[in-house]
Amino acid sequence: MPSQQTLAQTEVDVVVVDDEETIREGCRMALEGEGLRIETAANGALGLELLARVRPRVALLDLRMPGVAGIDVLKRLPEIDPRIVPIVITGYASVESAVDSMKLGAFEFLTKPFETTQLLDTVHRGIHHWGTYAPAQSALAPRRAKQAQILKSQEDALLKSLEAAEEYAELGGTPTALADELRTLEMQADYHTRQLGVVQKKGKALHDFVADLHAVDAIVARHLSKRSALIQILLDIQSQKNWLPSHMLMWTSRRLGVPMGRILEVATFYEAFSLIPQGRHQVQICTGTACHVRRAPELLVTISSLLGIKPGQTDSDLNFTFKQVHCLGCCALAPVVKVDSAYYGNPSMKELKEIFARCTKDAQAEGEN
Amino acid sequence: MPRLENPKALVALQVKAREQRAALPQRISVCGGTGCVAAKASGCIEALNAAIARHDLSSKVEVQVTGCHGLCERGPIVVIAPQQYCYLGVAAADANEIIEQSIIEGRPLDRLMYQVEKKPVTSQDKIPFFRGQQRLLLEANTRIDPRNIEDYLAIGGYTALEHALFEMRPEEIIASVKESGLRGRGGGGFPTGRKWETTRNAPGDTKYVIVNADEGDPGAYMDRSLLEGNPHSILEGLIIGGYAIGANVGYIYVRQEYPLAVENTLLAIGQAREQGLLGKDILGSGFSFDVEVHRGAGAFVSGESSALIAAIEGHVGQPREKYVHTSVSGLWDRPTNLNNVETWANIPHIINKGAKWFASIGTKTSSGTKVFSLVGKVRNSGLVEVPMGTSLRTIVYDIGGGIPGDKRLKAIQTGGPSGGFLPESMLDVSVDFDELVKAGSMMGSGGMIVMDEDNCMVDAARFYVDFLAHESCGKCLPCREGLRQLLHILNRIVAGEGREGDLELMDELCDTVAVSSLCALGKSAPNPVRSALTHFRSEFEAHIREKRCPSLACVSLFHYEIDGKRCNGCSLCQKNCPPNAIHGEHKKPKTIDQESCIKCGACETVCPPKLNAVSKVAGRAEPEDSPLLRQKTG
Amino acid sequence: MTQIKLEIDGKTVEAVEGASLLDVARQAGADIPTLCQNAELNEKGSCRLCMVEVVKGKKRSLVASCAYPAQDGLVVKTSTPEIEKHRKLLVELLYPTALHLAKRYGIKESRFDGPRGDCNLCGLCVNYCRDVAHKNVLFFEGRGVDRKVSFVPGKAHECSSCGACFELCSGGFVVNNHGTLGLTEHAYSGR
Repeated sequence: MPSQQTLAQTEVDVVVVDDEETIREGCRMALEGEGLRIETAANGALGLELLARVRPRVALLDLRMPGVAGIDVLKRLPEIDPRIVPIVITGYASVESAVDSMKLGAFEFLTKPFETTQLLDTVHRGIHHWGTYAPAQSALAPRRAKQAQILKSQEDALLKSLEAAEEYAELGGTPTALADELRTLEMQADYHTRQLGVVQKKGKALHDFVADLHAVDAIVARHLSKRSALIQILLDIQSQKNWLPSHMLMWTSRRLGVPMGRILEVATFYEAFSLIPQGRHQVQICTGTACHVRRAPELLVTISSLLGIKPGQTDSDLNFTFKQVHCLGCCALAPVVKVDSAYYGNPSMKELKEIFARCTKDAQAEGEN
Repeated sequence: MPRLENPKALVALQVKAREQRAALPQRISVCGGTGCVAAKASGCIEALNAAIARHDLSSKVEVQVTGCHGLCERGPIVVIAPQQYCYLGVAAADANEIIEQSIIEGRPLDRLMYQVEKKPVTSQDKIPFFRGQQRLLLEANTRIDPRNIEDYLAIGGYTALEHALFEMRPEEIIASVKESGLRGRGGGGFPTGRKWETTRNAPGDTKYVIVNADEGDPGAYMDRSLLEGNPHSILEGLIIGGYAIGANVGYIYVRQEYPLAVENTLLAIGQAREQGLLGKDILGSGFSFDVEVHRGAGAFVSGESSALIAAIEGHVGQPREKYVHTSVSGLWDRPTNLNNVETWANIPHIINKGAKWFASIGTKTSSGTKVFSLVGKVRNSGLVEVPMGTSLRTIVYDIGGGIPGDKRLKAIQTGGPSGGFLPESMLDVSVDFDELVKAGSMMGSGGMIVMDEDNCMVDAARFYVDFLAHESCGKCLPCREGLRQLLHILNRIVAGEGREGDLELMDELCDTVAVSSLCALGKSAPNPVRSALTHFRSEFEAHIREKRCPSLACVSLFHYEIDGKRCNGCSLCQKNCPPNAIHGEHKKPKTIDQESCIKCGACETVCPPKLNAVSKVAGRAEPEDSPLLRQKTG
Repeated sequence: MTQIKLEIDGKTVEAVEGASLLDVARQAGADIPTLCQNAELNEKGSCRLCMVEVVKGKKRSLVASCAYPAQDGLVVKTSTPEIEKHRKLLVELLYPTALHLAKRYGIKESRFDGPRGDCNLCGLCVNYCRDVAHKNVLFFEGRGVDRKVSFVPGKAHECSSCGACFELCSGGFVVNNHGTLGLTEHAYSGR
């Protein structure tokens, strides 16, 4: 099952296999304009070699080519990588070839000549499909309807789980693999609640956990599942959750097909991201040159003393995270402190005490609810 | 809003927008830039709107929230049109009076105006801060609401785009930009027209144009104000550039620390798309162009062009070798033209008024104007736009109003972490790309930081090395390890642990870092250190040989003392000491517990000026039972 | 594949246009020190030891030869007093790792504050793990002077069946957050 093995190591999103150069180059220009990485091949044999080497998310295959035809490439795709989403191109809209292709697992059909908008729309849907593991077979639809019934007992939940296991198996997984994955995810849900310093019932912890994974899906979909949007996706998660929980990073890694190492490299390179839970209130002191020259260092030790934490730290009640920022762009107000979304220019100690007291009161009220 | 299908429709809409605005006899512009918002401008806006409603004046006047006016030290700023009455430091409580006096009675409200020798300056353009400037780019900020495309259209916005698409060929546009002499405003100062030409001529059909709004230089916020205050001007420049170069896709990379700029840019893009000024077949010209906003995630190095490109591709912002220029192989290995926000903002002006006109402003080698953020120890701190060739003296004294507290100027820092310090003796150096390099600094993106006698230059050098050591991407050995060692040495020096030979060792490190680093961050990192050593070597020597900080700024080399003879026991300092390090009974003279003292300076600040009992004393604190201490506290 | 001619240390050399100047120079017999270079890897240009002087037209510059594409008409010097001065300082910054280079430059101690530990952040292990082994277990965490080599949590166990990067390590051994992973024959003595 691909989810257990190493993910596609490549950066290539789409491979186009077509003997017509105008089609290859036309697709390339249109798709690169969308920020997608493309490789092309001029015949079926080269196409197979290329697909094996780069393992893209979507393959655009011309049905009729001299030599190894598109339909033959399509047949061999599951061996190469069952996750590659095939989209078939043809100049002949024959019902027979359409049915054959769909039976062999083609996701969609493009008839020449096709508009750029059609191409882009179809490819994007293909990429999204790769990311969501949506079953192509419509046979599963009636079973989905059954699952909408309300659970009345543990036996009902067990049955529902067995049906899900069946689905998982039809997508190529094994019961053992499923059990392993579930156990790992459960452990991660546990770890996550412990990191937050929260005591929660098992069911609620899992519920929150799954909600987080859905949130990732929504964010990834908003960015059209583009790998190049990794930083934007992480920014959205950070702004929603105030930090980057590891299970959400893991899920991003799987949905985008990007190795965890690269995600962690990016998450630790940039200031905006935090891999640990942050306080409810962000206190940022600007340590840009204008502020430095106007006594920001003194303001920094003052705030440190008042909050009891150094820059980069969060207090043990998770009330405040104190950070140094290099230039908020309000230099005329220097020295500048930003608390959540409010800016303060050269605040006095009295003002600071009032601001922090207000924040602590909010936190207490929150805690009481 | 209906799509503009052709130039005629654009002109018609511009005329309509202009007439709509002219129909209102008066307008109140309130600066809505981040700086003024921080100073509570939103309260003023609400109060003004409430007062207008109360007096039933909505058919006669409206409040327009504009972009940054530039005099950020004195915000919130309110300007009444057409008289140009300019009110500074406005509070919500002033709103009613403003409406009654300036709108209903049409009279100026003197107490809120800028004072020169106790006399109020009635109009904005007569205030010395504004009078000394040539606000080619910033002027529009005072007249448009960045969230409303029609304000931009009313002042003739997108005329340049129409002219470029329908009356000029791409080669002509590039020739014009070359003739104008425009040089990159991000710091490199590379001739813009030449860069466009190289990108246009590079092989390949897919090309990209990028706006660099990463603005990482601390103390610089020109780009923020341009993008927040007039996003359409940058869009217009970008589309023209795309047309000239042959790019149909553009990216605007904005640092995430500028949420308002991101918001206003996205809004502007949405409105431009609705009107058909972005997207397919713009104005019926056959040229299609669209743009995507990409947020930065907090790394100074990602403002370097190849690192920025890597970030758009979704990778860490690590620069690449520039042996093959990004104009030839950049974003996804395609020819890419990257320019700074301010550079793009100049383009519509060049198209509208011509290259010759632009070249006539400024100097022979540096044409046009430059926006500077004049900050630090200066009275009128804010954004200043002057023609190239203006002297530092004019900027700091005539426009900036000089140093507050009548302190002595020590240095002006330009060019950010890649730049240098210019001492008082160089006040007559003019702002010009080549002149500043000759003077031992550089233009940079426009940050201009004024330092006075209370600022220590060793500390300033250490500040920049610390900044770069942590902002470096860390890939290459000379930058990462060279800066690490420079920082170690400077940390020792400011802590009073400098050694003979330290300055020579720093010289060696600077040489190798400057020559062998991979990118411009590393290569220019030694500049602040070298510049400080050139002009202020004696300060370094005092720190090393005498363990003394002449400016009494380095915390390990001074301590605070309360003069027992001057102290009257008022306890103000005690109440304001964060770690409660001041002891002494009620109404009795106070003492500072030196071990707990965090050197925040609050005691010195709050001690009443007529007592002046707290002062900085050079050297470490004397031990508790020292006779010297007993003598001082009586 | 265009054939070009360039001058390296006074000798005229033929090469393929765009080939790595380091490779071309070494083939021509130049002895250029490197640390982070490895033929299988995509990443290059991190140690800067391979710097050479290039004169192109009227412009003279020092470039990292591993990343510089060979072009027709270049005049290259692989060693000058200036270049050796910089290389020596870089090796001093690396000390006490990369001892084979320290030996070459006669460096037995360093004037700089340290020690920083055993990892000199050359990147050979990280890049190999990513580009050749395709395991993505190692990565660079952080930025600037805070940069270090780390393991993706939960994946370190994959290393016991691989170990490919151990031999490559220019510091002597691969180190992770929690301690030493493995010692190779190249580990130096006298620490």
